[in-house]
Amino acid sequence: MNSSDKSLEKRARALYHEAVQHLDPATAGRLRAARRTALQAATGHAATHHRARVLLPVGALAAMALAALMIWQPTPKPPANGATPAMATAAETDNELPPGAENGDPGLYQNLDFYSWLAANQNNGQQRKN
Amino acid sequence: MSGVSAVFEAELLSQEGRAVPATLDGFLASMERRAFRMAEMHLGNREDALDAVQDAMLRLVKHYRDKPAQEWTPLFWGILRRRIVDLQRRRKVRSIVVGWLGGGHDDEGDELPAWEPADTGPDPLEKLHGERSYADMAAAVKQLPRRQREAFMLRVLEGLDVAETAQAMGCSEGSVKTHLSRAMQHLREELEEWR
Repeated sequence: MNSSDKSLEKRARALYHEAVQHLDPATAGRLRAARRTALQAATGHAATHHRARVLLPVGALAAMALAALMIWQPTPKPPANGATPAMATAAETDNELPPGAENGDPGLYQNLDFYSWLAANQNNGQQRKN
Repeated sequence: MSGVSAVFEAELLSQEGRAVPATLDGFLASMERRAFRMAEMHLGNREDALDAVQDAMLRLVKHYRDKPAQEWTPLFWGILRRRIVDLQRRRKVRSIVVGWLGGGHDDEGDELPAWEPADTGPDPLEKLHGERSYADMAAAVKQLPRRQREAFMLRVLEGLDVAETAQAMGCSEGSVKTHLSRAMQHLREELEEWR
């Protein structure tokens, strides 16, 4: 690079810096406003990003917990006294109350007198045999 | 950081030379006027230049605020350069559309110059107290091919080193040297009266 190039560069740079310094106030004001807008937009963007970063794992965890709750079904516990399942079922049957008029056999309740007489005669017959 | 301290930091920067402010506010305060002048010289229009600078600021803050401060300068010039190219392409498309619609020729059938928006900003000559030199230089720089213009403005006017200029222009360091050498040759011819 020769000296005339150096001189041209120097002069061009000086003019450029002078032009930068002598910007009209309206343009300078708009540039300041543009800077503020850019920085505010970035702050809003960062806040949204941070919120998403926190809420995303929380939401995923909640969804997983809900799914686990829906899939999980409790298994029946074995009786604590060591009884077999068959015995437990028999015990349950013994403890059951007789069905009500609505749930039981309707024929039984319609012919209740006949069944009472039949039961009484069966008992008498057995006593006679004995 | 307040606007006043950002401007103060920018002033310090201009005194210290190549130091980069640690905050984005300070960095943008130090760049905004230079970026505007650069965009204005490329686009020749105040409003477009302001749009380009605002967009470049937004993109830098949004996408590169977490980068080390030393990388902001070439990144910012690179973003601004691409924005300027986008605006120039849009103008070209608009000129083509106007041409298709029959608006690209005068009454005698001669082709009209490519569409450019009217510049409503203050005349640079007024701001420089009637001095013609800046306007002459701006006109000569605007006549350069785009890549030569970018190399001259970033390397000579902004004082970026070859590596930073190459990063901002998205090309090799060898290409920067070639473009700059050709730009200087053109400018020597255009600005003959400067000698």
